[in-house]
Amino acid sequence: VILNKIIDALNKRSDLGGWTVRHQLVRGSQVYAVPNQTEALREVGIEQYRIDVLRHTSTAEGKEGVGSGNATLLPGGDIESAIERAVLTAGLVANPVHTIPAPAPLPDVPLVDAELQRDPSSVTKALMEQIQAAAATHRDVQLTAAECFGEIHTTHLVNSRELDAEQEATQVNIEFVLHSRRVDTDVESFAEMRRRRVADLEIEHEMERRARCTLDQFEAAPAPAWHGPVVLRREALATFMGGGVLHTLGSAEAKYAKTSSWEIGKSVFRHEVKGDPLTVWANRCIPFGISSNRFDQEGLPAQRVELIRDNELVAFAASQRYADYLNLPPTGAFGGVEIPPGPTSASALLAEPHVEVIQFSWFTPNSITGDFATEIRFGYLVENGVRKPIRGGQLVGNFLDALADVHWSAETGMLGSYLGPHTARFNELKIAGQDR
Amino acid sequence: MGKNNVRYTSIILHLQEASMTELRLLPDMAELRSSLGDIVDRGQQLAPGFRVLLSSKHGLTIQIDNREEHVVEAAPSAGTVLSAFDGRTMYERAVVGFDREKVQRAAHDLVRETVFANYTPADESAQRGDFITPMQIDPADLSVQEKLDRCRELHRRVTGRDPRIVNSQVRYVELSEHSVFASQSADLAQRIQRVRLFLVVIVAGENGQIQYDYISKSGGAGWEVLNFTEEEIEKLVESAIALLNAERIEPREYQVIAAPGVSGTICHESFGHGVETDMFLKERARAAHFIDRIVGSPLVNIVDDPSRPGEYGSYFFDDEGRMASATQIVENGIFRRGITDFYSATALKIPRSANGRRQDYSRKAYARMSNTYFDAGTSSLEEMLAQVDQGVYLDKWSSGMEDPQGWGIQVICHYGHEIKGGRITNRVFSPIGVSGYVPDVLQSISAVSTGLRLDAGTCGKGHKESVPVSSGGPHLLLKARLG
Repeated sequence: VILNKIIDALNKRSDLGGWTVRHQLVRGSQVYAVPNQTEALREVGIEQYRIDVLRHTSTAEGKEGVGSGNATLLPGGDIESAIERAVLTAGLVANPVHTIPAPAPLPDVPLVDAELQRDPSSVTKALMEQIQAAAATHRDVQLTAAECFGEIHTTHLVNSRELDAEQEATQVNIEFVLHSRRVDTDVESFAEMRRRRVADLEIEHEMERRARCTLDQFEAAPAPAWHGPVVLRREALATFMGGGVLHTLGSAEAKYAKTSSWEIGKSVFRHEVKGDPLTVWANRCIPFGISSNRFDQEGLPAQRVELIRDNELVAFAASQRYADYLNLPPTGAFGGVEIPPGPTSASALLAEPHVEVIQFSWFTPNSITGDFATEIRFGYLVENGVRKPIRGGQLVGNFLDALADVHWSAETGMLGSYLGPHTARFNELKIAGQDR
Repeated sequence: MGKNNVRYTSIILHLQEASMTELRLLPDMAELRSSLGDIVDRGQQLAPGFRVLLSSKHGLTIQIDNREEHVVEAAPSAGTVLSAFDGRTMYERAVVGFDREKVQRAAHDLVRETVFANYTPADESAQRGDFITPMQIDPADLSVQEKLDRCRELHRRVTGRDPRIVNSQVRYVELSEHSVFASQSADLAQRIQRVRLFLVVIVAGENGQIQYDYISKSGGAGWEVLNFTEEEIEKLVESAIALLNAERIEPREYQVIAAPGVSGTICHESFGHGVETDMFLKERARAAHFIDRIVGSPLVNIVDDPSRPGEYGSYFFDDEGRMASATQIVENGIFRRGITDFYSATALKIPRSANGRRQDYSRKAYARMSNTYFDAGTSSLEEMLAQVDQGVYLDKWSSGMEDPQGWGIQVICHYGHEIKGGRITNRVFSPIGVSGYVPDVLQSISAVSTGLRLDAGTCGKGHKESVPVSSGGPHLLLKARLG
C-alpha cells in the first residue's frame, strides 16, 4: 500500500526526469552462544522505502545536466516530505546526463533456502545446534562462542520507465570460535562464513578443518622470511580474490574518476605474465552466490560479464550512470568473482616447497595500486616432507603482480562470492618473517 | 583515573545545562518516549530488569570531485529494542520504528517467552537527563545547499595546484544519532552529532601509475571543526606526489616513531579489542589472564573514554543505559581492567563500564570501544627523533586488525618516511605493515611525546558490527617488525 502511494505521488510530479523506488524488507532471527549457555536470542525486522529521483538541471555554463537525490522512508513516514527532500537535493547538482534502466528480462537466479525462508527462527536455532554438535565431536577443542543469523531479504523495485521487479533471497551468517588449552598455552580458530543456503556452509567439514588448525597451532612457529611459492586454498583464496582490487579497477566508476588506469583491449598487468593467463567474470548469476541477485539496486538484470580474457580487459562493470557517461553497455553491480578452471590438478600445485596461508588477519590491499602487506594469522611451511604450522609474519606483495604469476587448479568450488579453482599457487610471493 | 573522572563530571554538568532547551527528539520517538514508563512498568512485572532502547540513526554524504557531485542521504535506521534477561540469556525484540502499539505488542510477547522472575537485577542509581553534543555550527541548522557550497569551496582550493593531479575529491559525512533509554531506574535521551570531512588528492605518474593521499577532519561536533589550512592542503598535494616514488620497505625490525594516528591504531588493536570483556567470557582474550600484571613499558597508559569532549567516538550514555565515563585500561604498563557490556560484566561479576554499544537497533550490544588512546608523556618529538639513527616515521594508518587470543598485531600504514641520523628524510615507503607480539611491541616503547591527537574511524567486531570510534595518542618511540 505504501509503495503504491509513493508511486502515485512520484507520478504526479512534473519536475522529475525519472525515479526509482525500492521497498526493502528484512526479517530474521539471531542466536548467540557463549560457553555452556545461550547468550542472546533476537527476532529482527527491518523495512524501508528508498526513493531515488533524477531532475533535469543545468551547469553554471548553461550546459544540460542531471541532478540526483534520494530519501529513505520508514513505515509511517511522511511520503510527500521525503519526496520533496529528494527532489530539492536533485535540483542542487548538475552532473552529465544519465538515465535509469529500462525494463529487461530478469534471469532466474536461485537465491533462496526454502526452509530458512519458511521459518528463520527454527532454522537458525537448529543451525546453532548443528554447530554445537559438530564441535562436540572434537574432544580436544571447545566451542567458546558462536553466532548464527538467518535472514530473508525481500526487494520490490519500481521505476518511472515501468521496470517492476521483485526478488527474495535468504542469507545465513555464522561465526564460531574453537579454543583449546594445554598447560598455560591457549589457541583458537575463528571462522566466519556467509552463504545463501545452510547446506552450503558444510558445517561438519568446516569444523573438522578448523579443529585440526586449532590443535596445530600448539606447534606453530613464527613465520619464516620467505620468497617463493605461496598456496591459497578455498576460504583463504576467496578472501584474496575478494579483496577489492578487481572490483575497483574493473569498475566504470573508477575509470570515470581516473583512479583506474585499465583500458579495454589492453593487458591489466604491468609486467610479463609468467603463470596461467587470467580470465575473470564479474558474475551476479552464480547460483546461491552471496553477491548474486536477479537485479541490482538500480534494477539492472544480473549478468555474467566477461571482465578480463587472457589478461586483457574486455569490459568494465558499469552501473547505468557510468555506462551512460563512458558510452559503455550497462552491466550493473559487480557481483561475485568467477575464474575458469586451471590446467593443473590441485595436488600438483601442492608440490614442495611452499607456504600455505590458511587465514589472514585481514586482507586489505590498496584497491588502486594493488599493494598489500597482511599478517598471516595461521599457515603451514611445507618442505622436506614436513608440514610445519606457522603464524605471524606478513605476506607482502602486489595483487596484480601475484595474479601475473599464478597457477590455478582444475578443481573448483563455490565459496560465497567466489566461484573458481579452489587452489592457487602463487609462484613468487614474499613473507616478511623471521630470518631462517 | 582521578583526572579523567573530574573531566567527565565537568562535561556532564555542562551538557545537562546545554540540553535543557536544545534536545528535540524525532516526533514519533518523542511520542513513544512518553509511553515508555508504562511499557517498562508492565515489562518489569514479568521480567525484572526489563528495558527499552529507542534508536534512530541517519546521515548525509556529499562527495565532489573534478567530474561530478553526489549528495546522498544515508539509509536511516530507526527502531525499538526491548530486552529481558533471565540471568543466563538476553531475550530481545527489535521492532522497526516507534509505533506504540507495535512496541507494546512486542513487549507483551517478549516477557511471556520464558520465565524471567528468577533474575534479580542489581540496584542502580536513578539516571535522568537529556544530552546533546555541544556544537557551534550545528549541521541541522545548515541547508544541504550550504553544505554543498562549503564542499565546493574546499574543492576549488585544491584544484589546479599541480598538473599531476588527475582528480581531487571532497567527501563530507555527517551522522546524527538520537537515542532514548528507559528502565526502572533510567530515563535518558541523547542526540549525538558526528561529522567528517575528507580531502583526497589522486595523482598519476609518467608511467601511468596512480597514487593518492588524503587528510581528514572530524569530531563529535559541528562544522566548526571542519577547516583545512593552506599549509595542510599544500602538504597533502606534496605527499600524494611523493607517493609516486614510494618504495616497498625491506622487511625487518626497525626503530619506529609512530605518529598519533598510528599510535592510536596500535592501541585500538592491542589493548582496545583485546580487553573487550565479552572476549574474556568467550575465552578469546589473553589479557584476561594478565589483570594487574605488566603488559608494557612503564610509559604506557591506555584509556577508553566516551565522555571525552568533541571526539568522534563520544556519547553520554551507552546503548545499555550506562553513563559515560573514562576507563583506565593500562596504568604505567600494568593492565588494570577491561571495557564491558552488560552481559559480560554480569556473567564475569566485574564492574560495568559504559561500553555496551550496538551497530543499530537490529544488532545486539557488545563490549565496544569509544575513544581509545595512549595517554601523553613528557618527551618532545625532536628528542625522540634524536634517539633514532636509522628508522622509520610512520605517518598515516589505513587499517588494523585485532588478535586478542594470539596477541598478534596488524596495523597497515598508508606510508612512512625514512629516519636517518635523527632526521625525517624524503624517502617514502608505501604501504607498510606493522606486525609483532603485543607485549613485545608495548614493552619496546621507550619514549612518549607530550600532547595527543585522536583520529576518527569505524570499528568492527571481527568483520561486522560497525560503530564510530576514535583512537589516538601522542608520538611513540618503539621497535616493530615492518614489511
